[in-house]
Amino acid sequence: MVWLQDECRKVLEQVELYLDGELGAIERVQVHLHLESCGPCTDHSEFQRRLKELLRSKCGCDDVPLQLLERIRSTYAAPEP
Amino acid sequence: MPGRDGTAGSASAAAPAHGDPALRERFERDVLPLLPHLYSAALRLTRNPADAEDLVQETYLRAYRGFSGFEEGTNLRAWMYRILTNTFINSYRKKQREPVTVQDDEIEDWFLYDRLGASGVEASAEAEVLDRLPDEEVQRALEALPEGFRMAVLLADIEGFSYKEIAEILDIPIGTVMSRLHRGRKALQKALWETMRERGLVAG
Repeated sequence: MVWLQDECRKVLEQVELYLDGELGAIERVQVHLHLESCGPCTDHSEFQRRLKELLRSKCGCDDVPLQLLERIRSTYAAPEP
Repeated sequence: MPGRDGTAGSASAAAPAHGDPALRERFERDVLPLLPHLYSAALRLTRNPADAEDLVQETYLRAYRGFSGFEEGTNLRAWMYRILTNTFINSYRKKQREPVTVQDDEIEDWFLYDRLGASGVEASAEAEVLDRLPDEEVQRALEALPEGFRMAVLLADIEGFSYKEIAEILDIPIGTVMSRLHRGRKALQKALWETMRERGLVAG
């Protein structure tokens, strides 16, 4: 197990927020600069990014049943009685 | 009290849009194209196609009824997901059997990454191992998450909503969004690790 420097530890705690685009400007730059110069943290970050990507690519594009669109339209478009 | 999803709570509230061709046209133009995403989300929430179809249909019906009250130019996607999750919580959750609660305190950070490293997978190859997982297995892992975690991960990672949007959609504080995301992702990593082992994609 690689011993993590304090700075690495701090960065890894923030990576989730970093990848979610939720860090403030200064923190974002700090994490970015660290990742540029630290291979192990870059690997961690890249892995976490791929996990996000994996979910997006494998869980968000199911085939919509053919009749569903028409079913939806028929319910709300029913004529006024 | 009005429905928190902005839809009409009673028959006396905003008139349905049947009578307004312009409103209906706008609904069809702006809201119907969201169907594929909403259907996928509904599948992950209900875990079966029949309930997912019913959930999406109910969501659209509620949205249509409340559409005259929707302010054009504001966040339509977030509005629709709010109705979807609300409808799910109110109507479909009762039918669902929750999976066993995750003992997430036992899951350390970076679980999957560390396990893959320990099992001899090279750092550069770790992402490739992920890609080899079949879609259905990843879907099953997500669907097995407790509901609160599942909704947060789905909204953030699949739909790309910000923490603030998720907080508004689910009507929870941002701190809760962050905690559910963090714990949900950790639990998901553990489930994916188990799947990889079962499928022989990794040793260990």
